[in-house]
Amino acid sequence: MVQYIAGRLAQAIIVLLGVSAVVFFALFLTGDPAVLMMPPDASRAELDAFRRAMGFDDPMVVQYGRYLWRALHGDLGSSLRFQQSTLSLVFERLPATVLLAVSALCWSTLVGALAGIVGALKRGTYVDFGVRLIALLGQAIPVFWLGLLLMLVFSLYLGWLPTGGYGRWQQLILPSLSLGAYYMSSMTRLGRASMIDVMAQDYILTARGKGLTEPSVVLKHAYRNSLIPVVTVLAMHLGQLLGGAVITELIFSWPGIGRLAIQAIYTRDFPLVQAVVLLSASIFVFVNLAVDILYVVLNPRIRI
Amino acid sequence: MKRPGWVNIDFIVGFSLLGLVAGGVLLGPLLWPVDPYHQSIAHVFQPPLESGEHGNLYPLGSDQLGRDLLARIIAGTRISLVIVTLAMLIAAPLGVAGGVLAGLFGRWTDATIMRLVDIQLAIPFILLVMMIVAVLGSGMANLIIVLGITGWAVYARVARGQVLSIKNLEYIEAAQALGSSRLRLILRHILPNIMTPLIVLITLDLPRLVILESAMGFLGLGVQPPTPTLGNLLGEGQAYIFTSWWLVVFPGTVIAMLVVAFNLIGDWLVQVTNARIE
Repeated sequence: MVQYIAGRLAQAIIVLLGVSAVVFFALFLTGDPAVLMMPPDASRAELDAFRRAMGFDDPMVVQYGRYLWRALHGDLGSSLRFQQSTLSLVFERLPATVLLAVSALCWSTLVGALAGIVGALKRGTYVDFGVRLIALLGQAIPVFWLGLLLMLVFSLYLGWLPTGGYGRWQQLILPSLSLGAYYMSSMTRLGRASMIDVMAQDYILTARGKGLTEPSVVLKHAYRNSLIPVVTVLAMHLGQLLGGAVITELIFSWPGIGRLAIQAIYTRDFPLVQAVVLLSASIFVFVNLAVDILYVVLNPRIRI
Repeated sequence: MKRPGWVNIDFIVGFSLLGLVAGGVLLGPLLWPVDPYHQSIAHVFQPPLESGEHGNLYPLGSDQLGRDLLARIIAGTRISLVIVTLAMLIAAPLGVAGGVLAGLFGRWTDATIMRLVDIQLAIPFILLVMMIVAVLGSGMANLIIVLGITGWAVYARVARGQVLSIKNLEYIEAAQALGSSRLRLILRHILPNIMTPLIVLITLDLPRLVILESAMGFLGLGVQPPTPTLGNLLGEGQAYIFTSWWLVVFPGTVIAMLVVAFNLIGDWLVQVTNARIE
């Protein structure tokens, strides 16, 4: 087990190094990052000064080494626009993103898994058909379109909910709904498939053979086992959601790291873009690592 | 249980929707020969079914410059589909090549390629694409290249798994024993036998690309206006959502139709081929 965990840890570190390299070298795709970051009307002298200040004159390897060294010390550079540490900017915005991601994940998992299981139990009926239809639509509707439609209906026509902002609980509902819809669909599909799988197992037959009542068979024997894949995917979704709320945050003016990233891209504030990408990728890697380790600890079959 | 037949509800609905959109794209310019770039300042923001200049009809309404929304959706869908198809044609061969090499050679090749896959999948996709487009500049060619190059990872994973599952089978050993070169082995014996799951994967990956392309258009990082794409239309319409709902509702409907169609066809393919692409 220790060996497995050490191996996974090494893998995670390699992946993070790779991500940092991608994030770092992406700036050099056009050749000159100074031209990229400075306003188009900057003079040659200004460009030279900027290059010296940022250290762009050094060999690439030296620059990358310096970038890594600073990153390890918690310094991801400073934002060109805000003139302050990018890391502190990102951490300021992180709680809003976490709130949005976690709320979207909670409702989508609860509703999705439940709908999937009901669909599986009522397989072939209209209930099942409805469940599959909703799952299909939830995956097909792009998050930004759903966001706009929800805004159109609930803010404009019904006037029940605000169109955006952050602070009150009413402002969380629409972003959370539009962000979670896709994940609800995927949970529904997964929960349904998993439950159908479980209901065909021998131990369900045994449980019925023992003369247990149907609710007891479903709740005690089938339901719990059908949740195993749901929990695995849950963790993957959390990693994705923390980095993937860009568009939802933009539409609903939600002050999270996704909106920070896109504003940084529009203003060509590349150190800030790098920081957001590196940090979201790190969160993704660590969440997955934690889940893998938890899995080994919890599941005796993997623990050899 | 009865084995599902070839024709089921997924098949019918999936292909009808795709046929509807494809028919609109192919025949649309003939049936509705209106210039998608023609502006008419006197007829901006006309609601659907309102008439414009010379009593011409705006079936789906007009936009902020008085352009016909139906004509723009027809043109935009075509451009979006071209982008998505070309991106897939870059991503799939790239990923399959990587996956086959990883699965066949194992050891360091495998470890290196699979770590690259992990790295790719760890970076939030939309942020990665946004970052690269911001550096390279927006435009159709750049968008296709970026979507193509960043989309390889899933194909690599599936192709590798498939190769691992067949590479110790007897016919592969027999081919090796008969002295076929590695290239011949891959092209003649491995690729044809892992094709089915890959084709299924393509149908399930296309909707992801459709959504991604429209997201980039929506964010203004895709093809530049006035060229219409489904995402551009949504992005432009967003500014007028509270006064002109049709600018947002109709382009989004087409995106959803496309995605539903591809997903259903993918599901149908999974059922009729019994392919597992986990």
